[in-house]
Amino acid sequence: MRKLKVAVYKFSGCDGCQLQFLNMEEELLQLTDKVEFTMFYEAKRDNKPGPYDVAFVEGAISTPHEVDVVRKLREESDIVVAIGACATYGGIQALRNWANVEEFKRYVYPNPEWIEALKTAEPASAYIKVDYEIYGCPVSKEQLLLFINQLLRHKVPVLPVDSLCNECKRKGNVCVIVAKGTPCLGPVTRAGCNAICPTYGRGCYGCYGPMIDPKPELLAEKFKELNLTSKEIALLLRQFTNWAKPFREVSRRYG
Amino acid sequence: MSVTGLYLGRPEDLSKLFSGLLHLGYEVIGYKVVDNVLRLVNVRNFSELAKDIEDLQAPGKYRIQRGDFFRHGPDSPKKFLYPSELKLFTVMGDWSIRYPEVDEVKLAFFGIKPCDLASIKVMDRVQGVIGDEYFKLLRSNLVLIVENCTRPASTCFCATMGTGPRAKNGFDLSYTRIGDKLVVEAGSELGVKLLNLMDVVPIDNVTYREFEDVMCKAYMAARADFTTDNLPEVLELGINSSVFTDVASRCLGCANCNLVCPTCFCFDVVDVPRLDGSADRVRVWDGCLNYTYAMVAGGHFRPDIWARYRHFVLHKFAYWIKQFGVFGCVGCGRCITWCPVGIDLRETVSRIFKEVKSGG
Repeated sequence: MRKLKVAVYKFSGCDGCQLQFLNMEEELLQLTDKVEFTMFYEAKRDNKPGPYDVAFVEGAISTPHEVDVVRKLREESDIVVAIGACATYGGIQALRNWANVEEFKRYVYPNPEWIEALKTAEPASAYIKVDYEIYGCPVSKEQLLLFINQLLRHKVPVLPVDSLCNECKRKGNVCVIVAKGTPCLGPVTRAGCNAICPTYGRGCYGCYGPMIDPKPELLAEKFKELNLTSKEIALLLRQFTNWAKPFREVSRRYG
Repeated sequence: MSVTGLYLGRPEDLSKLFSGLLHLGYEVIGYKVVDNVLRLVNVRNFSELAKDIEDLQAPGKYRIQRGDFFRHGPDSPKKFLYPSELKLFTVMGDWSIRYPEVDEVKLAFFGIKPCDLASIKVMDRVQGVIGDEYFKLLRSNLVLIVENCTRPASTCFCATMGTGPRAKNGFDLSYTRIGDKLVVEAGSELGVKLLNLMDVVPIDNVTYREFEDVMCKAYMAARADFTTDNLPEVLELGINSSVFTDVASRCLGCANCNLVCPTCFCFDVVDVPRLDGSADRVRVWDGCLNYTYAMVAGGHFRPDIWARYRHFVLHKFAYWIKQFGVFGCVGCGRCITWCPVGIDLRETVSRIFKEVKSGG
């Protein structure tokens, strides 16, 4: 069987998602029997140009240069997969969308005129057609591997889209909202992480982004009952996936 | 000793019962406090069992505090009899199929309440139709020690659903704690055997009246604002009621109600392929409040949250009767307590009940 030609490329992000490929460790050797990492700057020197069967792209698109590169990658790849909160929703880079990027430039850089940044940081899907998205901050290596295994078996890749509560309760966790009054975004967040945060008694931070048909406006009402201030509610929804439309809209309503 | 008579002992006798079960080779599942929540877990020592605590349950809220009687937590017998994730088989790289080895386990539930006993009976009916081998195996060896519920929680409505607060049948042994007295009843041959391990005498008239009084008060406390008379018909008449859309406008669609329900049995089947060419087929809990639940090839037959919520209510109280001959709801109130936004199923049913009865 011909190996799947894969490109792994990063835009504005922290490298954490592409690192999950390397974190596969024990599966990595088996994986490279089936997959050729044709381009993967974080992992190797010898990187080759396209075409690619699959391109995994990490990071938000935040500069004009990145727009050009992501468009080129799209042209060179049969399948484009956005990986992680940044590539799927703009991630924490998108926090700057709530303010004026020109001001940030002046504060941070001695020569702000040298910096070319787009007005907003956006997910890959804002510029190109994305075939699949794998969510999370970072993506889970289990989901990444499951996705690749499904592709290798010619199965339509399917990852969960319903609430995190499903995974949380299957795992045997107790609801932190009900039992502790801890604000948790689980009931509006997509499953996939196997409920890491609630497993350790914390509320979900929503890093997988809004689930399918989410109702964050109703959960925000519940947070009010838990005596959270409007500001706190706005900030809860304004984290790793703040730029996801359902979270963005409700967050804006609360300040 | 007869199977049906009531006997009198002391709460301390429960430890003898507990040791008896261990001696007979049972894994005992009982209530233990873990991280301030009552959990149903495998308990090896009688002293691990929860005591001197009370669970406070309200819509969307659960706490425990010091007290002398508790109901339950989010876990139900379903956790053990119908596990949340069950590997059905593995397809190997050469397409041969391997089934997982299932160890024969003898489980004994210790101190579950009558609502949960009823949930096992409901599961029996459901499994009679869908026939899960794993369930059948556990069920064939299952021992049920039930504690009658002397103080139902504010979310309980077992009396309305006819499942409690006193267990009528289907248990091996039931007990009721009344102060420093313990009223015990055997419900099976094994129950009689277990009863003999305890230091009990036939109940006296005074204690019997006390027992009746306590159970009567509990019965009055565990009623909802509707009755089950013609309930399936009444709800189906109200199928177009605006109550469904009204209540569902507060629903998150998170499926917590399905997941904590002791009788919800819906599942999804997922395939997990591995690099070595093998793949597991796994059965996982699913729920009708999930968006993808009614999504099928070519479309979706319940895309709106109100339609999913309505299905949940109608399945529990109307369709279940047609499918399995019993209600799908045992009145345990878990879906009320563990709903993050505290949607009260009793309120939905009562409102429709009133609407239909008044011809609205």
